[in-house]
Amino acid sequence: MSLIHRLAKLRESEERGILFTGVEGSAVGAKVLVLESGETIGEGLDDAVAQFDELIRRGRNKLLTLDDGTKVFAEWYGPPPRLFVYGAVDTAEAMCRGARLLGWHTIVADARGKFATTERIPSAGELIVEWPAEAIAQVQPDHQTAIVVLTHDDKFDEPALIGALETEAFYIGALGSRRNQERRRERLLEAGVDESALERIMGPCGLDIGADTQEETALSILAEILAVRGQREGGFLKDARKRIHVEVE
Amino acid sequence: MKEILSEIDSWKADGEKVVVATVVATRRSAPRPIGASLAISESGKMCGSVSGGCVESDVFENAQEVLETGAPKMLSYGIEDDLAWSVGLPCGGEIDVFLERVE
Repeated sequence: MSLIHRLAKLRESEERGILFTGVEGSAVGAKVLVLESGETIGEGLDDAVAQFDELIRRGRNKLLTLDDGTKVFAEWYGPPPRLFVYGAVDTAEAMCRGARLLGWHTIVADARGKFATTERIPSAGELIVEWPAEAIAQVQPDHQTAIVVLTHDDKFDEPALIGALETEAFYIGALGSRRNQERRRERLLEAGVDESALERIMGPCGLDIGADTQEETALSILAEILAVRGQREGGFLKDARKRIHVEVE
Repeated sequence: MKEILSEIDSWKADGEKVVVATVVATRRSAPRPIGASLAISESGKMCGSVSGGCVESDVFENAQEVLETGAPKMLSYGIEDDLAWSVGLPCGGEIDVFLERVE
């Protein structure tokens, strides 16, 4: 099967992978496709392929310069990220609407069957009525999943956060006042969560844009998720020293 | 290249030679991110883009040679005084575009 045909098929199968192409130096024109499943098509470019794990988590294209000066273009293939919201509240619907605009897949879960309905959350790609641990087991968040916990209720939020911290999710956010965050922090520590793990939780989640309505809050959280994904601070571009486009380093 | 794979796949299936031009590096601001690509077929079909239309015609010219020889080629575009009114990027950025024939 030709490489192009295999690449075209990746889009349908939603597999993740990286296409390495030598573009300058000793290996111009060499091509190696590595899939997350371990399948590899082509050979060579070993020093670039060795960076696969880091590159696949980064979720973006990158031009690699190897020690001998060889340049290898790494093109990222895979489905869009997933947004997983625990808590079928109004903000969850607004977040799903916003995430769909970004082309992301959206999943909302809540243990309360009366909350997690398509009437209330019509924009969710998937609705799950389960307690946090079961919902997380079902969704299996990975390094291309953002998790947001929105229930405002400790009996859901805490197990949801504990479960989220056990995954490789690239973003974990939780709503709640500063006072509630502090109280939750104490309770998670008591529950045996490692202090360093708690650093992964963005709480209160969202960028400081003066969000007031549900939609504004959703936009603020989505913007923060994008900033974390792009390893940016999320301030004004006019004040930014870094380059504007995220893939540029 | 991922956005234009189905076109490339179908042109290849029709027996055409195809060249893909991909933005692999950008400096300062650039109209399209790295990974943006333009496919050009033997019969002159085009799909995708590597800039906002600023350099596509020059890429197309260069693609003819790559279609013929199969040897990959790197092109760099930036803004320079004598180029500002011909082939260049009005945004003041620079891009490197890698051309290769799809085998």
